[in-house]
Amino acid sequence: MGYALLVSTPGEPSDTPAADDYRLRRIESVTDAALAHLDVEDLLGELLDRVRELLEVDTATVLLLDSSCQQLVATAARGIEAVVRQGIRIPMGKGFAGRVAAEKSPVIIEQVDHTNVLYPFFREHGICSLLGVPLLISGTVIGVLHVGTLAPRRFTDDDVSLLQIVADRVALATQSRRAEVDRAAAVVLQRSLLPARLPVVPGLEIAARYVPAENGGVSGDWYDVFTLPSGWLCVVIGDVVGRGLVAADVMGRLRSVLRGYALLGGDPAEVLGRLDQQVQHFDPETMATLLLAMFEPSFGRLHLSSAGHPPPVLALPGQPAVLLDVPSDHPVGVPGGLRRRATTITVPPGALLCFYTDGLVESRNTSLNVGLDRLCGSVVAGPVDSVCAEIMARLVGDDPAGDDVAILALRRQDSGEIGPLDLVMPALPWSLRDIRFAVRRWLSAVGAAPRTVADLLVAVGEASTNAVEHAYGPGGGTVSVHLELQMPDVLATVRDTGRWRPPRGENRGRGTMFMRNCSDDLRIDHSPTGTNVVIRRRLGEEAPR
Amino acid sequence: MTDARVEVSAESRSVRISLSGEIDLANAAAVEDEIREAVSNQPVIVSVDLTDLNYMDSAGVRILFTLASRLQALRITLELIVPPGSSTRRLIELSGFESLAALKPAGP
Repeated sequence: MGYALLVSTPGEPSDTPAADDYRLRRIESVTDAALAHLDVEDLLGELLDRVRELLEVDTATVLLLDSSCQQLVATAARGIEAVVRQGIRIPMGKGFAGRVAAEKSPVIIEQVDHTNVLYPFFREHGICSLLGVPLLISGTVIGVLHVGTLAPRRFTDDDVSLLQIVADRVALATQSRRAEVDRAAAVVLQRSLLPARLPVVPGLEIAARYVPAENGGVSGDWYDVFTLPSGWLCVVIGDVVGRGLVAADVMGRLRSVLRGYALLGGDPAEVLGRLDQQVQHFDPETMATLLLAMFEPSFGRLHLSSAGHPPPVLALPGQPAVLLDVPSDHPVGVPGGLRRRATTITVPPGALLCFYTDGLVESRNTSLNVGLDRLCGSVVAGPVDSVCAEIMARLVGDDPAGDDVAILALRRQDSGEIGPLDLVMPALPWSLRDIRFAVRRWLSAVGAAPRTVADLLVAVGEASTNAVEHAYGPGGGTVSVHLELQMPDVLATVRDTGRWRPPRGENRGRGTMFMRNCSDDLRIDHSPTGTNVVIRRRLGEEAPR
Repeated sequence: MTDARVEVSAESRSVRISLSGEIDLANAAAVEDEIREAVSNQPVIVSVDLTDLNYMDSAGVRILFTLASRLQALRITLELIVPPGSSTRRLIELSGFESLAALKPAGP
């Protein structure tokens, strides 16, 4: 047993080698195998029980260093559990544990008094003698392990060595478990913050790729795509400086705050300005580059503002892709920046935009310019999924990713490519607004004339209102809306599976009259299984009767 | 939920009610309540400005009819400010509302 060598310091009195061997095997069994499934807190608790038995002491405590505030935090304790329950914190260098940590060496106190401990805690609990050793990871203190006795005790060198061995194992287990937990938490956090499913928006094709760096855990790369009640669609890509759980957490906050500020309205420069102000005040340690792009509801124009983020790539049908000329303003979180600028570009049908983080174009082997050229050479105005695949193949290839890579590709569809719209909503009044929103967006994507949009909103709105108001009893039901192109017309079908109550009131007749006047042709079929309203309306500008 | 704003500016003899946002079945009752509260029996004229209304259907038109019949009983004049060519204007014309109130293209 090699461990016996570690404790039997020459010339030191000890028990028989067989007894040492027995002790160490117990430590080993506790640290290595049996507790592998426990989380850090439980593992520490178990180890402390064993230490207490092994060294015949009354208390055993682990304090871990919170490096953000340079304080030792009581994390696990046996015999004096109150230190954990009361959240005892010891500043580095202060008191007994603080001294162990600051000196990075064992400290023994034979008789506790007010001069050698920080809190009256030990005295109040009748603790008389203390032995503490540092928890070290390659020379850096991550905490302190100490034991105490109620009766006066003179700790021996043997006790010190033994406790230090346990401490080393506690340190390793803690460190690796912490790193594992951090990594797992960061991955979960980041995964939960990246949209699992990109929004399905008629008129736009969207695809994304995210690949974390191979050995650095996660960083703060993120993207986000969301619609606003006004019909605008926001696209965000960003990169928080830093790595791991902290960066993932910051990214999560930036994402929520940006969504909130976008909801308030304004152009992308204003939204980024508010975000910047917020970050500088509440998160002064944070710095992030990001690009905010806002599509008008028709997708025909895009407004962008860049906070130090690399410019997106634009590919028009049949033309080589180019970097967009977006002025780059200061990153978010950098004080004293000038005013932010917004740029507006036209997005013709078929055009593709590619957003990315610098991990894609910057690597140890290639310069930024080479990376950007290569990116432009890989982007075409084609299907977004194949464009993403092509970019990843040509720019990442077989190399291990040195940095996170995030890309987001959006293509404005040609009106001919846009499939039918299918909605199934609860037959409730508040569905009406959502139905209008989807219908308006679909009609503008297929290029409907403004008058057609207005008419169909009313016709579909009235038909849906009837389903909401008259089709179902208290049990409720659904209303389905289907829109498709049958050139030169739009065909809208509104369906419910209930039975309309007999018409009542003046208003009811008015709704049907509006429907009729807002369509070129209207059919209402009532049957025992439900009602079908079929509305036909010219797509182009042509006034109905 | 459908959003509408009802803004009221009252002077001694007139009340101006500006509607913006959207009106449908979901919020018609709430909008109607707000309008009812805005009109006392003091004014001689009530004008309802629909210029910034982005959407309205029969649920909104019904509010206007109810208001018109109530004002008629009170002998208060009603006028609607509704831009020519707008969808709102068309629905109001289709519904025959012109017999109850003057339609004006723009506010004073």
